[in-house]
Amino acid sequence: MSDRAGPESTRGDELWRATNPVPRVGRVEGSARRLGAITRKEFIQLLRDRRTLALMVGMPLVLLLIFGYGVRLSVSHISAELVQHDSPVARAALASQGHFDVASTVVPTVRAARQNLLDGRTSVAVVVGVTGQPQRVLIDGSDAFVAQNALEYLRSLSGSGAAPLTVDVLYNPTLRSADFMVPAEVGMIMLWVGTVATAIGVVREREQGTLEQLMMTPIRKWELMVGKILPYSVLTLLIAVVITGLGLALFDVPMRGSPVELFAFAIPYLVAALSIGLLVSTVAQNQRQAMQTATFILLPQVLLSGALFPLSAIPWAIRWVSQLLPLTYFTPITRELFLKGLGLSQLWPQVGVLCAMALVFTSLAALLFKTRLD
Amino acid sequence: MGAPLEIETRGLTKSFSGRLALDDVTLGVARGELCGVVGADGAGKTTLLRCVAGLYRPDRGEVVPGRRGRARVGVSPQGFHLYADLTVDENLTFFGAVHGLDRAALGERGQELLRFASLEEHRGRLAGDLSGGMQQKLTLVCSVLHRPPILLLDEPTTGVDPVSRREFWHLLDALHRDGTTILLASAYVDEVERCDHVLFLHEGRLLVDGTLDELVPEGATLEVVLRQRMSGAEPIASGGPA
Repeated sequence: MSDRAGPESTRGDELWRATNPVPRVGRVEGSARRLGAITRKEFIQLLRDRRTLALMVGMPLVLLLIFGYGVRLSVSHISAELVQHDSPVARAALASQGHFDVASTVVPTVRAARQNLLDGRTSVAVVVGVTGQPQRVLIDGSDAFVAQNALEYLRSLSGSGAAPLTVDVLYNPTLRSADFMVPAEVGMIMLWVGTVATAIGVVREREQGTLEQLMMTPIRKWELMVGKILPYSVLTLLIAVVITGLGLALFDVPMRGSPVELFAFAIPYLVAALSIGLLVSTVAQNQRQAMQTATFILLPQVLLSGALFPLSAIPWAIRWVSQLLPLTYFTPITRELFLKGLGLSQLWPQVGVLCAMALVFTSLAALLFKTRLD
Repeated sequence: MGAPLEIETRGLTKSFSGRLALDDVTLGVARGELCGVVGADGAGKTTLLRCVAGLYRPDRGEVVPGRRGRARVGVSPQGFHLYADLTVDENLTFFGAVHGLDRAALGERGQELLRFASLEEHRGRLAGDLSGGMQQKLTLVCSVLHRPPILLLDEPTTGVDPVSRREFWHLLDALHRDGTTILLASAYVDEVERCDHVLFLHEGRLLVDGTLDELVPEGATLEVVLRQRMSGAEPIASGGPA
């Protein structure tokens, strides 16, 4: 090989000399610089990765609109029909609550009404006797959610003959779904963004082989962990603030508690969510696995935390799972702070559990986060 | 008495899921040496380098520098493993900062290295947009920013065009001349022929350890010697793309 000595190689001595160390900063400053470097790098990468950014920002907005405008926990426009005889009284009673759309024609027989229920042409059939009084009600139970609501409305109608009761619904008098959903959605979105973004950020580093390079630098485990999650913390908090603002502006959701307290309570919850992201990254080998694992962890949280369905509706056999999920504790915090105006003096048990969870999950992530390849 | 050893392994053994990747490997690389490790794919070259760098914990045996000495080691892994979505400058700044380099020193050293590696005019380009040869040079530049006394290179010229390969070797020669101890893994026999010291790994075992003068008799070639030692195993690449 004759190409060992090139024209450039004659001036290498001052450039490369291993025995001539480059000036370095002190221990504390070095730590701060490393942390700053990782955080800055993550921000740059995040801003350049348009697809992930769109997912992280777009998804919460879509969810907000879906939950705010689309999802209604109260069912209205339940199709109903009268069977055998018309009854202005029954018709008026059904229409009075606004939950039922009553067909103008009367179905002649119970048999025909059953066929309509079977075909899905109606959900409720009210059989009316010759006296004009409802005798029997048939409900399509194949959609349990609609059926349960219909049943409740019909029960309240049947009791309308009794002495009138004064009913006061507190904190959400009109029982608006948005008031119920938007506060819970803040928690769900923070969990989604915090967990998924962190997991993908770390796994991408491993997938691209850059983690190997990082492991060969003097970077410490905690610097790497904190440096990786800091940008996602900022992003998640920013999205949470925007979602809260949009929730208040678009859906008129009341904020009766202190926004500062909400922000403070969100910190331990956020740390727990980010630590779950780090934990996901310790088991996932690539970004697809990270997404799948995150979904596997997030879905039960959404279903079992009380954010969508009441905790009391969850069977005892699996309710213990709910007690292990951060969202189970953050959902009552947001709902009661938004709607009832509660603060730390009432919400401290939930805040305390979240702080403990943040500590446990972070410790676990630190324990499992590897700085070796094997 | 020769130069002290900078890299040393004794009885180094490492396996993955029951498959032996390194089997009782004992070797030493003296300070300032350019040492080439040659072997076919799967011979254990990458595992050896990762054990030396402390990225793998050996099952048995000892290794220096290993995990404790990582601050003295620069690593250029196989393939391109810098941040493709950062520019040349941003990569340099990032690695300089995580190595704890003084800001002024980083600026000065970065500029010198980029000029020397002919990357100065590409400093604003995304690293992922550079050619394979440029990416390898940038990887080398980032791994020597902190002037490590030991440099580990894992197949640095694989997939690199002949001109870039030649330029890369100019950089390596400069490092070698200036006293950096280099352990270079390669699948190309002609590359390890440039080295002071040759190691030949086959199926995790160290079959050859010596200088070219010691190993290659008059009139023979290193490739022939290695084939003989391998005794019927699969051939290794004879010469790279240069």
